[in-house]
Amino acid sequence: MNVVIALTITGILNLFGSIFSYRKITPLLSIIGLTTAIVFNSMYWNTNQSFFNHMMVVDNYAVAFGTVCMVLAACLIIFYNRFMGDNDHHLPEVLSVIVLSVDGAIVMVSYTNLLMLFLGVEILSISFYILAGLKKKDLGSNEAAIKYFLMGAFSTGFLLLGITLIYGATASFDLSVISEYVKLNSTSTNYLLLSGVLLILVGLLFKVAAAPFHFWTPDVYQGAPTIITAFFATVGKIASFGAFYRLFQMCFSPIVNEWSGVIMVVAIITMFIGNITALQQKNLKRMFAYSSIAHAGYMLLALLSHDYLGGNAILFYSIAYGISSMSAFIIIHIIQTQTGTDEAMGFAGLVHKNKTLAMITAISMLSLSGIPLTAGFFGKFYLFSSAIESGYVLLVCLAVINSFIGIYYYFKPVIESYFKDSITDDVIKLKSVETILLIFLSIATILLGIFPGLVPAI
Amino acid sequence: MNTILSIVPIQYYIILSAILFSIGVMGVLTRSNAIIIFMSVEIMLNSVNLLLAAFSTYHNDAAGQIFVFFIMAVAAAEVAVGLAIIVMIYRNINTIDIYNLNKLKG
Amino acid sequence: MGNVSLIVLMACGIGFCGLAQLVSKLIAPSSKNLQKLQAYECGVPTIGASWIQFNVGYYLFALIFLVFDVELMFLFPWAVVNKEMGITAFIEIVVFIFILFLGLLYAWKKGALKWM
Repeated sequence: MNVVIALTITGILNLFGSIFSYRKITPLLSIIGLTTAIVFNSMYWNTNQSFFNHMMVVDNYAVAFGTVCMVLAACLIIFYNRFMGDNDHHLPEVLSVIVLSVDGAIVMVSYTNLLMLFLGVEILSISFYILAGLKKKDLGSNEAAIKYFLMGAFSTGFLLLGITLIYGATASFDLSVISEYVKLNSTSTNYLLLSGVLLILVGLLFKVAAAPFHFWTPDVYQGAPTIITAFFATVGKIASFGAFYRLFQMCFSPIVNEWSGVIMVVAIITMFIGNITALQQKNLKRMFAYSSIAHAGYMLLALLSHDYLGGNAILFYSIAYGISSMSAFIIIHIIQTQTGTDEAMGFAGLVHKNKTLAMITAISMLSLSGIPLTAGFFGKFYLFSSAIESGYVLLVCLAVINSFIGIYYYFKPVIESYFKDSITDDVIKLKSVETILLIFLSIATILLGIFPGLVPAI
Repeated sequence: MNTILSIVPIQYYIILSAILFSIGVMGVLTRSNAIIIFMSVEIMLNSVNLLLAAFSTYHNDAAGQIFVFFIMAVAAAEVAVGLAIIVMIYRNINTIDIYNLNKLKG
Repeated sequence: MGNVSLIVLMACGIGFCGLAQLVSKLIAPSSKNLQKLQAYECGVPTIGASWIQFNVGYYLFALIFLVFDVELMFLFPWAVVNKEMGITAFIEIVVFIFILFLGLLYAWKKGALKWM
């Protein structure tokens, strides 16, 4: 499959950038590689081809999620090069790891075999452990890396035991065989299968950072370099949810009554813990970590829908959340390098320093909190309506309450930047590429908020 | 191979793997030395390997054993990255006790 | 082959080894001196305590060895099906080893294989 091969070759070429002294062009190389992969990927639309002896199938779901992940990664590489490029000695290696981790994300959204699910999860996670510890001398980064690593390896154990028990029950790793088996045996209780499903659920809930498996998230998001945190919060979460929804929709929907209770409880706990804890945070990166936990809670609602509405809802939400979250973290990074603090007061008087930046902050915060005329509103709308159609009215009521809690803390940076006076009056200057890209992300947010039909149905 | 499974029923393998897995989980949750936590994770993965091999023989299907290969290879990659992280931390704070890593709080 | 023959085989093995040791003890001329008690072809005698911190170079080599050692495990399933799958499987395994080689090349060029 061309996408995976293109990404792998790009990754390997990048790796040798520092050795054969072409490190200056490695960012360009990664962008070209990602663009090629995106083009290849979009050519698979509506083809439904299967690859590697039925290990992966590229249906519209895979194409859509893969494209989202690759576009976000390309944005991130442009910003990474802008912010870190000159004083980062490991630029080629970092770019290589980022590109290869996108490879894992592609595998995670297009697998049809549990082996590929495991490999995809691991390719993504191992790259993330490395990225979290990029600042070798910084203790916070060290702590983030070891915590992410230990928790990630721990959750992989649960995922693997779940896969094994399902293999024990069904004698196959292939999703179609498993789903046939589950369909035939949906009335009788098979404890091997059920415990397998629950253990996979635990493993994947760890990966998407849903409560009560969320403890690593705030520390990792705070400790890792800000621009890498943007990567974790967007590509990592979107790919994990892509894998999560695919597995449970394709295989385990006949026994939805067995696991829907768990998802419901986890979703409620996740939304409340995420939102209420985010209220008390001073550090913005930590606040956004908790808010990303809350977003995982909303996205879990889509897993409960009985039909393909859920897939469309989760795709739209991923795009909306990915774009806004990316620009939010980028802005935090800019503010952090400017003022030296990653707390909300760093935003004070931003409107006097740079009008465009303040505007983009406002738009991304509005979208994250789900105000109408932004993409975030329709994301929540689709998610909640898919859950209501499946009959989870109470759950949706709780989710709406949580959205209102969210508005409070999302407006903190906006209020700071528009109504508070800044300590210093330094003008924040941005390079044109950064400004264009940030404006592009904001325009996408608003366009999707007005014309939600732009995202095709899958 | 089938003679072994006719002597030792598959349930025993499941129970043994469950015990090993629980030992690993307890190790991760209670120990504070990063290397020991790491070894506990490896016990978890190896209990899964054992169970996969047993199921593979039980079902007469080679896929399970191939999965074991992949788990081992990925675990080796994970070990390489994990040990590198641990060495990096050791160079900075001269200990690998994870309770000393408590800088990040909210 | 029942259990009895296995036990007999084990007993024979142990007995043969024991016999050889005993005979050499009895008939070989023995002399004890300082040179004789030294470690023979097992490296040099340690200087100081052996529970010291190792050079970080050892860990680097160990990590690289670990990865390449385990990756080559995939040659076994390939060897099993090589005859049936023919040239396709061969090309795939060559690509696999080539990627591993690129990894080694990277480590080599970065100086990870140089002893510090």
